[in-house]
Amino acid sequence: MKGVKKMNIVGIAACTSGIAHTYIAKEKLIKAGVALGHNISIETQGTIGIEDKLTKEKIAAADVVIIAADIKVNGMDRFINKKIVEVPTSIVIKSPKGLINKIQTELGLT
Amino acid sequence: MINELKLSELKRHAMTGVSYMLPLVVASGLLIAIGNILGNNPALISDYKSSYSLWQASVTLGVYGMQLIPAIMSAAISYSIADRPGIAPGLLMGMIANAIGAGFFGGMLGGYLSGWCVNLLKNFVKVPVWAQALLPMLILPLLSSLIIGFIMFFIVGRPIAAVSFELTTMLQNMQGGSAALFGAIMGAMAAFDFGGPVNKVASLFADGLLLQGVYGPEAIKICASMIPPFGITLSWLIRKKRYSKGEANNIKIAFPLGICMITEGVIPIAAIDPLRVIFSCSVGAAVGGALIMLFGVESPVPSGGMFIVPAMNKPVDFLIALAAGTVIAAVLLTLLKKDADENKLLEEEEKEIDLSDIKIN
Repeated sequence: MKGVKKMNIVGIAACTSGIAHTYIAKEKLIKAGVALGHNISIETQGTIGIEDKLTKEKIAAADVVIIAADIKVNGMDRFINKKIVEVPTSIVIKSPKGLINKIQTELGLT
Repeated sequence: MINELKLSELKRHAMTGVSYMLPLVVASGLLIAIGNILGNNPALISDYKSSYSLWQASVTLGVYGMQLIPAIMSAAISYSIADRPGIAPGLLMGMIANAIGAGFFGGMLGGYLSGWCVNLLKNFVKVPVWAQALLPMLILPLLSSLIIGFIMFFIVGRPIAAVSFELTTMLQNMQGGSAALFGAIMGAMAAFDFGGPVNKVASLFADGLLLQGVYGPEAIKICASMIPPFGITLSWLIRKKRYSKGEANNIKIAFPLGICMITEGVIPIAAIDPLRVIFSCSVGAAVGGALIMLFGVESPVPSGGMFIVPAMNKPVDFLIALAAGTVIAAVLLTLLKKDADENKLLEEEEKEIDLSDIKIN
């Protein structure tokens, strides 16, 4: 993965019970994002409520928004005019790097 | 392989409903259980003018919570479909479902219908500019409540109530072989994908039945959710060579999570050797589920793991079923798994998934 452009990624993770998959998905995305050399911030919407809320600055700078959720997420109005990718949490848990690389190719940011 | 990218919209709405409902079910179930245990099955409060005990208050509050479940399920589904305008009609449809005995499943249906109705109305009802404010404030909630309310009262409510009743009676009267088979299937489903979609179907079914007063399936669900982490832990204790250092670390996390009924901790271990782990855990959970049905164990609380075992009707029998399932899963794992190869296994293994359907909007 040499010579690849750096992306700014923001995202939201949310699962049904809101206690496990949400946070696994967040960890996987952040680990994969950092390993691939991108800037990445993930907000979680678990049963406890919103944690690590995305800042306006981060959203403004983002190239893409990854919604890894099995349920309806709140605050989608923050991402108007943004590129949004919606996937179930299982995808980012199983193949976080694959997903990020795929997005990068699709967006032509390689 | 099922295309995992297309987690259907229908399911997303149902899952949203479940996510909003869970805390209410847990709180209500525990309130009832605590009141019943400590107050020795007190009567519900019927007259607020006369005096009542603390435990009566606890049980009564729990029962209020249980009656709200169709409403919160319906409102959350409707909200998931139609956003905020969906909440009011959704709540009302849930109240109808509860009142006519269509319960949880009636609430789900009411939620879908009212959400779709609001969305349709949003698209089709055009008002002049001066009346724009009336649309979300008056027209949408009134029309959707009226239309779907009448449908619920006069068309779909009764059949669902009848089916709910039949299902409840059938499950309550199930004995012997059929009960064991039901328990085995529920158990295997609950353990099959460690908290994934198949588990959620079994879980939704159990939660629905809880509301109809059938408590056995919840006990199966709790048992089957704990068997995978316990079984893997036990098999690791029996023969440590079967697991790599990375896996051993994961097991140390998965076990305490398992005590809290969170199965997901075993996913990293299952991901490395899916066939053997899923097979062993499902068989163990099926045995546990069958025993739960045969013993007649019931749990009035849907979630909470080992901490709510005392709230069950037969805690000792529950532990026997749990232990039996755990031992079987552990023995199978130990027999079937090969010794771990420290060099080969990478902790962060990526799965090959067909990502071609991903759309960027």
